[in-house]
Amino acid sequence: MIIQIAWKNIWRNKTRSLIVISSVAVGVFAGVFAMAAINSSVVQRIDAAVNEELSHIQVNSREFRSSSDIQDLIPGFNEADSALKSLPGVKTTTGRIIIRGIASTSAKSSGVEINGIDVEKEKEMFTLNNKVIPGTGSYFGSDTKFNSVLIGEKLAKDLNIIRYILTPEAVARLDSLKIPSRVLSKLETISGERFTSDKKFNSELEKLLTSDETGKYAIHIKEAAWSYREGAKLILTFLDMDNNQTGAGFRVCGIFRTNNDMFEGMSVFVPARELRALTGMKEETWHRIIARLDNDDLTDKITEPARKALPDLEVLNWKEISPDLAMIADFMGQIYAVFMVIILAALAFGIVNTMLMAVLERTKELGMLGAIGMNRKKIFSMIMYESIFMSVVGGFAGMGIAEAVIAATQKNGINLIKYSEGMEAFGYSAHLFPTIDAGFFVSTTILIVLTGILASIYPARKALKLNPVEAIRTE
Amino acid sequence: MKVIEIRDLHKIYKASDIEVHAVNCVNLDFQEAEFAAIVGPSGSGKTTLLNLLGGLDMPTSGQILIDGTDLSMLKSSALIDFRMRNIGFVFQSYNLIPVLTAKENIEFIMSLQKWIKKEREERSFELLKAIGLSDRTNSRPAKLSGGQQQRVAVARALASRPKFVLADEPTANLDSKSASTLLEIMEKLNHEEKITFIFSTHDPRVMKMARRVITLEDGKVVSDDVRE
Repeated sequence: MIIQIAWKNIWRNKTRSLIVISSVAVGVFAGVFAMAAINSSVVQRIDAAVNEELSHIQVNSREFRSSSDIQDLIPGFNEADSALKSLPGVKTTTGRIIIRGIASTSAKSSGVEINGIDVEKEKEMFTLNNKVIPGTGSYFGSDTKFNSVLIGEKLAKDLNIIRYILTPEAVARLDSLKIPSRVLSKLETISGERFTSDKKFNSELEKLLTSDETGKYAIHIKEAAWSYREGAKLILTFLDMDNNQTGAGFRVCGIFRTNNDMFEGMSVFVPARELRALTGMKEETWHRIIARLDNDDLTDKITEPARKALPDLEVLNWKEISPDLAMIADFMGQIYAVFMVIILAALAFGIVNTMLMAVLERTKELGMLGAIGMNRKKIFSMIMYESIFMSVVGGFAGMGIAEAVIAATQKNGINLIKYSEGMEAFGYSAHLFPTIDAGFFVSTTILIVLTGILASIYPARKALKLNPVEAIRTE
Repeated sequence: MKVIEIRDLHKIYKASDIEVHAVNCVNLDFQEAEFAAIVGPSGSGKTTLLNLLGGLDMPTSGQILIDGTDLSMLKSSALIDFRMRNIGFVFQSYNLIPVLTAKENIEFIMSLQKWIKKEREERSFELLKAIGLSDRTNSRPAKLSGGQQQRVAVARALASRPKFVLADEPTANLDSKSASTLLEIMEKLNHEEKITFIFSTHDPRVMKMARRVITLEDGKVVSDDVRE
C-alpha cells in the first residue's frame, strides 16, 4: 500500500515530476554518453597500441632498449622463445630485428626504426596488414619485390612521397561531392600544381579560400588531391654487425595509415631476411621476441611468470613499455568517478528540492496520516520511495537513451575529423565509436538508487518532524 | 461498559508569559455506543479535548484511560499504534488521501493493520453500501462532493472497528442536506456497529441528534446532558 501511494504521489504534480525525471534522464544520458565517448577514445587507442604497435609482451636483452645496439641480440633465442610460448595464455610469438637508421629520399631524410619482420607471423599477430592505404600497394604480398619497405603515411609525407596535386580527376571527384562551384573555381589557379607537403598545401588553401570554406571543404579537397608517388624509392642507412655503415635502396611497397602519427613517422618494416643479408645477422638471431596473449586481461597475470621463465632477459608488457597509456587506462577510473559525482550531485539536488516542495505542500495530509495511525517508519518510507522512484525512473530513462544513442553511433562512429590533426599527433583516433561496458551501467544503476535514497533522507526527516495537530490545521 | 475515562484533565498552553488553561479539570466517562457531542463557544477547549482524547496532544496533568490503558504512559510509537487500532478520526475538511479511490481510502487503515485482502474488501464493500456510495467505489476524492468525501471519511474511521470515533466539526463544511445525510449515516452506523461517536460541534443539527451533549466553557465542563 505504501509503495502504491508513493508511486501515485509522484504523479500528483505531473509537470513537476516530469521535469525532475527528464532532468535526471538528460543528466544521466549526458554523463553516460560523454563517458562512452571518452572511453571509446581510450579503448581505441589501447587497442591500436596492442594490435598495431606493441602487442602484449616484448622480450629483449637487458641492454637493448637503452643501447639500441645491433649487437645486443637475444642470447639463445630459440630456447627463450620456446620458454615464452610454453606459458599458459601465450597465444603466439615472433622475433623482430630492430635497427635504428635513417630513411632518405632525394628531397628529405628522417630518423627511423627499421623493423625486420617474419611477415607471415606478423600478419597473425598484428593488424597492420589491414591498415595499408588502398592504392599504395600491399603488405608484402606474393608480388612484392626484393628490397621492399612498408612505411607510414606520416613518414611518406615527411619524405615527400605523398604530395597534393589537383588533377582534373580530383576536381571531378570534388564536383561529385557537391563542393560548390565557386570553391572549385577558386581552386583553378592551383590546378596541376604539385605541393610536396601538408603545410604548403594547407597554406595555399587558406590563401585561396575563406576561413569558412577552408573549415568546411579543406578535408575533402586534401583527400581528393592526395597523391602517392608510385614505386617511390628511399634509402635506408644503418650500421651492420661489424659497426660499418651500410644501407640500400628500398622500394615502398605500401603505406600504412594508423591514428598514431609518431608510429607512422618512425616505424618502417622490411622482411627480416633482407635485413639479415644487409647486416650480416645470422639466421635465428633477433633483437626482440614479441608475444601475443589469448586476451588483453592476461597481460598483468603473465608478465611475472614470463620474467621468471626468462631471468636473463628484459620482459616488459605494453603497460610498462607505454606507461602513458597505462596511466590513461587507470585514469579512466578516476574520470568515471568525477563524472558520476557531477551527475549524482545534480540528481540529488533535484530530488531534494522537489521532495521538500512535496512535503511542504502536503503538510496537512502528512499530519492526517500521522494522526490516523501511519507510523513514522511508514511516513519516512513513503517519502523515500517517492524519491527513489523519481531517481530510478529518470536514471533508467537516461541510461536507456544513452544505450540507444551509443548503439546508434557505434555503427558509424562520431567523426571529429576537424580535430584529427591534434588527436592523431597523440595517437588518438578522431573517429570515435562510443562504447561502455555493462559494468558501468550496473554501477550507475546502483549509484542512482543510492543517491535517491540519500537525497530522500532530508525531506523524509522534515516530514517526520511534523506535529500532526499543527499539520492538520495548516491550510 | 466504559470505553473512555477522563480524570482531572488539564491542558495549559504557555505563550511567552501568558498561560492559557485550554482544558481545566475535566472528568468525564464515555460508554460503549454513545453518540455524544461536545459543544461550546470558540476557544472553549472542544478541539483541545478531542486532541487529548485522540492522543494527538499530551495533557499537562490528569489521566485518559481507554479500555484501561493510560494514554500518557504510552511511548510515541506505541501511541501511534494505539491510535491506529483503537481510535477513528473524522476531520472537518475530510482529509482523504487524494491519490486513493474511495474504496482504497476506506481500506487504508485496514491495510496498515495488515488485514487480509478478502476481509478488507468485504468490509469496505459493506461500508460503501452503508454510506450509499457503492457506485463510487473507484472515484478519487477530487471526483466526489464534500458530503460524499465526508461519508468516505466516516467509513474510513469505522473500517477497522475502533473503540470510538472522534469527529471534529464533521458537518462544518457541508450544506444542510449533505450534513443531514451524514448525520443519519453516522447514527445508523453507531447503532449497527456499537461504536462510540464523540463530536465537537457548533452545528445545532448535530446537537439535536446527539444523545449526550457536553458543554464546555473556558475549558471546564459546565453541563453534561444525557437524553434518552
